[in-house]
Amino acid sequence: MTRIRPRLRGRELGLLVIVALALVAGSLSLGAAGRLRAAQLEDGTTVELLALADSTQLLVFLGALFVAHLALVLAGRRTDQILLPTVGLLGGISLLLMERLPQDLAGGLGGLAQTQLVWLVLCIAVLTTLAVAVRNDGWLRRYKYTWAAAGVALLLLVFVFGREEESGARLTLVIGPISGQPTELLKVMLVIFLAGYLSENRSLLVEESTRLGPIRLPPLPYLAPMVAMWAIALGVVIVQRDLGAALLFFLVFLLLLYVSTGRFSFVALGLGAFAVGAVVLYRLFGHVQQRVDVWLDPWTDPLGAGYQVIQALHAFARGGLIGTGLGNGLPTVGGQPPIPALHTDFPFAALGEELGLVGILGILGLYLVLIARGFRIALAAEDEFRAILAAGLSLVISVQAFIIAGGNLKLIPLTGITLPFISYGGSSLLANAVIVGLLIALSERKLEPLPPIRPPGRLQRLLSRGAA
Amino acid sequence: MDPAVLAIWVLRLLFLALLYLFLWAVARALLRDLRAAAREPATELGRLVVVATPSGDPPPGSAFRLDAVTSIGRDVNNSIVLEDDFVSSSHAALTYRGRAWYVEDLGSTNGTFVNGARIDELSPVAFGDEIQIGQVRLRLERART
Repeated sequence: MTRIRPRLRGRELGLLVIVALALVAGSLSLGAAGRLRAAQLEDGTTVELLALADSTQLLVFLGALFVAHLALVLAGRRTDQILLPTVGLLGGISLLLMERLPQDLAGGLGGLAQTQLVWLVLCIAVLTTLAVAVRNDGWLRRYKYTWAAAGVALLLLVFVFGREEESGARLTLVIGPISGQPTELLKVMLVIFLAGYLSENRSLLVEESTRLGPIRLPPLPYLAPMVAMWAIALGVVIVQRDLGAALLFFLVFLLLLYVSTGRFSFVALGLGAFAVGAVVLYRLFGHVQQRVDVWLDPWTDPLGAGYQVIQALHAFARGGLIGTGLGNGLPTVGGQPPIPALHTDFPFAALGEELGLVGILGILGLYLVLIARGFRIALAAEDEFRAILAAGLSLVISVQAFIIAGGNLKLIPLTGITLPFISYGGSSLLANAVIVGLLIALSERKLEPLPPIRPPGRLQRLLSRGAA
Repeated sequence: MDPAVLAIWVLRLLFLALLYLFLWAVARALLRDLRAAAREPATELGRLVVVATPSGDPPPGSAFRLDAVTSIGRDVNNSIVLEDDFVSSSHAALTYRGRAWYVEDLGSTNGTFVNGARIDELSPVAFGDEIQIGQVRLRLERART
């Protein structure tokens, strides 16, 4: 066994220091705003303004980040040094936001922020473990159908053990004390499956084609299992009424098809299928119809269906260019924030109000960094599977961020999906941690020799022996 | 202006400024990374890595850069010269056609194998596939960027 030699990661440390400074400044700003408001209520007693909002929570989070850095240094792998600080900054912003919201929005371990902190620390632990331990991707590429089947099985479990939400969506799987959203894990499994399948059949998909008049279609037999897999996932998701996940899966599927084949005709075909599907769904399902109608004009029902969207738009408007400042936005209505599901579906609106246009552009910039790094890792990968996997993993995060940010801004119909690394919720954080952990592991140069070529069949062995 | 309000203003702007400082630092790192990649010699379309050779020459692990047309054989006029008794003088050709790599046997005595199967016509090779020429086993890999 080779000795593991620690390797300094200067760039990562430097970026983490900036992250720590930014989060301390944010926490100071949040704390000062809260204390000033309290002081104004008690008319004008002088207070100590300069103090962190919640020093222990912030310190625990920053501590976890630096421990993760130390673990990566000790592991001594030549891996990416930018992803961990980026995730750290997003997670830190999430923590500041949760500290600032009413703590009784979600139960759990003594309040919203504390529960989120526990999940964030777990998320960093998962990410670091994967980044340190995954040195071989054979277990991912070999069992692609198993991964896909496990994902679909997970979804089917929701029918049996699922809990119905108010909106009619069955998203949460509850087995005894454990509950989670299986679609979050499914997205990781789907990307692994697509990477495995596309890398194996890429040249066939590219070179051979079924002609249908002037349109070049992909060779049908090779595309069939993939389309079937996708249809199953999509069908289950539609029955589950989780439109956000359906949109995410479909977009990632199309993007990966384009990334691996470079054929725009496939994408055009997919978009056509999407348009047809969208019209059919709009006609058939009441909940789809409602979402689209609210998107087109929320003011027809401002206190009912359009309420959330209108409140989100007001929040962005109040935020303006640089925002109201952390802790100063969101005047509560009757002790509750005006937007329901603020911590899961609308964190982008809350951040838009408190940090303004400048702030949310910065946050979108952080997602941009994730995708830029993911594509860089894909370009440097040694074979197709790793390249498509890295591209797919980073696409999942960024497409998800786009879908929910666009929904919050009324750019596209709103779908209930989480903002990666910022929304409250364990399944989402853990699934995204798995994604970034795998990305970091994949970024190592000389990851490990590629797996041995699969042995040829008996007939081929006989032929080759005869020839040699 | 009330100093408390002023302090809050400063802190708010400081937070945003640090957010952008982080993005700037990352952008600089990414740019440096891309420049380092660009400094490396001209772009290649793929590389052929030696997996095993009975004679030890070329050594396993070494890699050949591939041009759009690469001929392989024992003759010195080939792009890749393999000194192996089982390799014909003009053995096989690797060609890159638009989107994928192809290998073709040029009428060699002992044949060309892709993933252990002998090929008798132009056949596609994917990255990660193993090509055997004579006793030399080679693997097609993506170009490094």
